[in-house]
Amino acid sequence: MWYYTKKLEYPIKIKNTNPTLASLILSQLGGPDGETGAAMRYLSQRYTAPCHEVQAILNDVGTEELSHMEMISTIIYQLTRNLTPQQIMDSGFAPYYMEHTTGIYTASANGNSFTADFFQSTGDPIADMHEDLAAEQKARLTYDNILRLTDDPDVRDAIKFLREREIVHYQRFGEGLRLIQDSLDSKNFYAYNPSFDKCKPAKKF
Amino acid sequence: MTEREKLMSKVQRYGFAVVEANLYLDSHPTCPHGLEYYTKNKALYDEAVAEYESKFAPINLPSDPKSLWKWSTTPFPWEYDPNLKEDE
Repeated sequence: MWYYTKKLEYPIKIKNTNPTLASLILSQLGGPDGETGAAMRYLSQRYTAPCHEVQAILNDVGTEELSHMEMISTIIYQLTRNLTPQQIMDSGFAPYYMEHTTGIYTASANGNSFTADFFQSTGDPIADMHEDLAAEQKARLTYDNILRLTDDPDVRDAIKFLREREIVHYQRFGEGLRLIQDSLDSKNFYAYNPSFDKCKPAKKF
Repeated sequence: MTEREKLMSKVQRYGFAVVEANLYLDSHPTCPHGLEYYTKNKALYDEAVAEYESKFAPINLPSDPKSLWKWSTTPFPWEYDPNLKEDE
């Protein structure tokens, strides 16, 4: 279970609104490489991880991703504060506004709604760990894309923090993959699924 | 920075150190430096949270809400308006 901690993981205080930027950063909430997908991916995969350390990594990184959903949502919320109809009309935020006003909704910058098709939980921890490593890199490059498009220091500060977290999570998943492989036959890591084909049957009937 | 902002910043700094140490220890559960770093920062975090909660608003569900349920009557962390003063 979870308890809510009534604070952000990192402070967000955005002075200037920017609805077009909000509609782009939206991808890191509900896009294919966003924080919602990350949280759902790791929290789904943790059950069949083959050892406690990897279960802990998936559990705790997944939990941190929930706090990143909250950070991205906060950025979008603050970037769209007190907008006038004219500001909306003049910005890239107008199509989103038509369906959601300034409510926070999980969608990508392209306007596609979040879908569970963005992530997998294969039940094979080696496949899952490789997906997780790739996911952290894809999230990191999306943050790089955001940083190229804005010079607002209030936004950049929070986005740079989130980008760093992707790198740390990548490191932890790399260690998770190594932990799993260390418990396997080094001549063939892929001979079987360590979460499913647990051991040879003791007795044949 | 107001006193409230300064204290929240302290909570967030120690809180982040705890999150980071937690993830590190997940894959290095016997590392003495990691365990020491975690223990130190967890104590500083708990202290900062207690100070913020006694002066301003709850961060965790209160153990003694007294006469007012502040959990639902104080601002949520996404709220920020540069034209309003937070301490008011």
